[in-house]
Amino acid sequence: MPPIVEVEGVTYTYPNAEEPALRDVTLTVDEGEFILLTGPSGCGKTTLCRCLNGLIPHFYSGEMEGEVRVLGLSTREHPPSELARYVGLIFQNPDNQIFSLTVEKEVAFGLENLGVERGEMRRRVDWALEVVGLSHLRHRLTNELSGGEKQRLAIASILAMRPRVIVLDEPTSFLDPKAAERLFEILDLLNREYGMTIILIEHRVDLAVRYVDRVVVMDGGLVIVDASPREAFTSPKTRAVGVAVPRVLELSERLMKRGIPLKRLSLTPEELLEELQGRLRGDGGWSGGEVKVEGAEPIIEVIDVSYTYPNGVKALDGINLRIDRGEFVAIMGENGAGKTTLVKHFIGLLKPTEGRVLVDGVDISQVTVASLARKVGLVFQNPDDQLFAESVEEEIAFALRNFGYSEDVVAKRVDWALHLLDIEQYRGSSPFTLSGGERKRVALASVLAWDPEVVVLDEPTIGQDYAQKERLRHFLMQLRSQGKTTIIVTHDVEFVAECEPRIILMAEGRILADGPARRVLSDVEALEKASITPPEMVRVLRRLSPYGVPCDILDVEEAAKVIAGRFRG
Amino acid sequence: MSLFEGLRFSGGDTPIHRLDPRAKFVLTASIFTAAVLYFHLLPLLIIFLIQLPIVAAAKVWRGWLRTLRGGLYIAVLILVTNLISFYFYKGRVFTLEMVEYSLSMTLRFIVLVASFSLFFLTTSPDRLSLALEKLHVPYEFTFAFITAIRFVPVLAEEAQSIIDAQRARGLELERGGLLRRVRNYIPILLPLIVNSIRRSLELAEAMESRAFGAARERTNLYELEMGGLDYAVLMLSIALMAIAIYIRVFHPNLGVFFPSV
Repeated sequence: MPPIVEVEGVTYTYPNAEEPALRDVTLTVDEGEFILLTGPSGCGKTTLCRCLNGLIPHFYSGEMEGEVRVLGLSTREHPPSELARYVGLIFQNPDNQIFSLTVEKEVAFGLENLGVERGEMRRRVDWALEVVGLSHLRHRLTNELSGGEKQRLAIASILAMRPRVIVLDEPTSFLDPKAAERLFEILDLLNREYGMTIILIEHRVDLAVRYVDRVVVMDGGLVIVDASPREAFTSPKTRAVGVAVPRVLELSERLMKRGIPLKRLSLTPEELLEELQGRLRGDGGWSGGEVKVEGAEPIIEVIDVSYTYPNGVKALDGINLRIDRGEFVAIMGENGAGKTTLVKHFIGLLKPTEGRVLVDGVDISQVTVASLARKVGLVFQNPDDQLFAESVEEEIAFALRNFGYSEDVVAKRVDWALHLLDIEQYRGSSPFTLSGGERKRVALASVLAWDPEVVVLDEPTIGQDYAQKERLRHFLMQLRSQGKTTIIVTHDVEFVAECEPRIILMAEGRILADGPARRVLSDVEALEKASITPPEMVRVLRRLSPYGVPCDILDVEEAAKVIAGRFRG
Repeated sequence: MSLFEGLRFSGGDTPIHRLDPRAKFVLTASIFTAAVLYFHLLPLLIIFLIQLPIVAAAKVWRGWLRTLRGGLYIAVLILVTNLISFYFYKGRVFTLEMVEYSLSMTLRFIVLVASFSLFFLTTSPDRLSLALEKLHVPYEFTFAFITAIRFVPVLAEEAQSIIDAQRARGLELERGGLLRRVRNYIPILLPLIVNSIRRSLELAEAMESRAFGAARERTNLYELEMGGLDYAVLMLSIALMAIAIYIRVFHPNLGVFFPSV
């Protein structure tokens, strides 16, 4: 059988770009494969996706060399609208790929465009909704869906066209862990039951590695590794590029280094457990350890706060919370749990419907947002929602001028912030010309510039690749060591597991758990209620708890040490 | 803004919702025509009251009243400007005719808003676009219309995020004189525009991927067929319009309090 997708020596340069985005890429995909495509931001993965359904060279001009064939059809000769029958593309932002007002009409959109007859269309729409589990929402308005539902809808509307290949470009970026897991289960089903070929770009490798059977790593427009997941993730080439590696793989490597004879390196908790089963000594359950937080001076106090939006949605329901000076806190919970609503109170963007919020002892209802902003720096999720100035320098100076600093102080602070985030070389550039990660750093600099006492970051890891996340983590550690109060709002479990902050777990406007990361992230019941999946280490260790292994360990090295200590062969 | 919010379809399934958009459009058009034909209080009041049972049957009181409340500001403006201009035009005197005429103009505006609101509140844009397609309006036009409606809430949310982000950076929208206040909006408008451009590019890519424009003859998931009730409403609306025109032409003084205007 000929391969379903053939990419042959493709080199592509975007119009007005100096460097090619793809360099001599060759890749063949057989029908029924499930491929993970990964690599740092700007490595060319998205560009490659655009080649697969003819967006390149039809929608994007620029220079393309080489050939791409899908089911034998050359993408040069067949436009995307024609290739859409064979290759479905799903994008990162669910909102920017939904055109209709109701769910079932959206699923039908592609079929209507293809001119499919009504009876057949109805059958396919029903089937597609069934597969993604949205049948019960068929008449719902699309803008009332949650992010996860929207992304499933996007899949259904591609599915209805019955493509042979589905290409997804970071489909889970905006989703919380549970919704992401659900999405993967659907992809797995499509791959196994319906034999669909799936090509997936994804940063959540821990999750992806359970389902994929081949990994392609790109860097600088080149395919550098193309192998089975085990080979690909252990390859030194992959490691050198700086992409995330499944944590269980890292754990089994460290176990081997400690002399534990494992047959092979494991990729998932299940594989590792199978290896370790019956080979550990010790027994008896593990009783959770308790860490007490010492009280210090409070900087933020939330007292019996409830908040109801003007449309009647109760987003916060009786919140009590105290954050001390110098603490490092992560507020976690699924989308819609009330996390962002809560932090907006810290700077007075929202005022409680009931109860009081005190910042440094001052009731936020008594003062302006601008005066609170001096103490509490809030950096929003999407840097594009705030960048507007002609240059990076001006962008950073904006807030400083709003606060009325004199020009020489402004100049000094701008220099300091540029240096702090290592963006001095972009001083004169327009923020709009920078890459996503750089724009994020500019947004961060534009808030840190006035050195607020409290720094709040809303979903700082969304859309960030492994290296950028690592950089962010180091930066947060730096803030922490300087004694700055830092609060992050996130549903990125693995990121939090590595930072080990105090965690406040929220669901439906309430606080479910509050305590050190080790305790909260190993409290599987609370996590379940908050629709957060436990970190990989906890997944492994929990199953080993019959051997008396503590399951509140988040660090890979520590986990390896504990397991190795109980190994009896 | 609530004037427009009240025009937004928000679901619902009553006989009024199920009416064929074409029949409902004729109904709205007949109310519209009647309202434009008359200059006097009583007939306009009757036209206004005719709509109440329809609103009740469609169970859209909330949205409908919200639209009217949203239109109140403009209604008052119409009343005041009419009164003032009459006052000076007639040589600085107030007459009852003037008051009636001004009130009528105001009521006419309210009737127009009310009828539009009733139409849009009870007609799903999907069915409306289908009706437009049936009437041979080019698909690109209906698609643009639907997409515009689809992205109203998305844009509103985005605007709110931008405002929040800039306020967090010390932007005070209400600070300064008029010119300064206008300038204050630059940090809000610029990201909104740039994001919209970026979004339109992404949307175009997604459209391509969904075979937009692939087939010469587009099909539609829904079929629109006029049923008995639809024809009844259609007939009734045409009759209503005919009566309105008849009275206006042959009995222009019926129900007029102050015929001198």
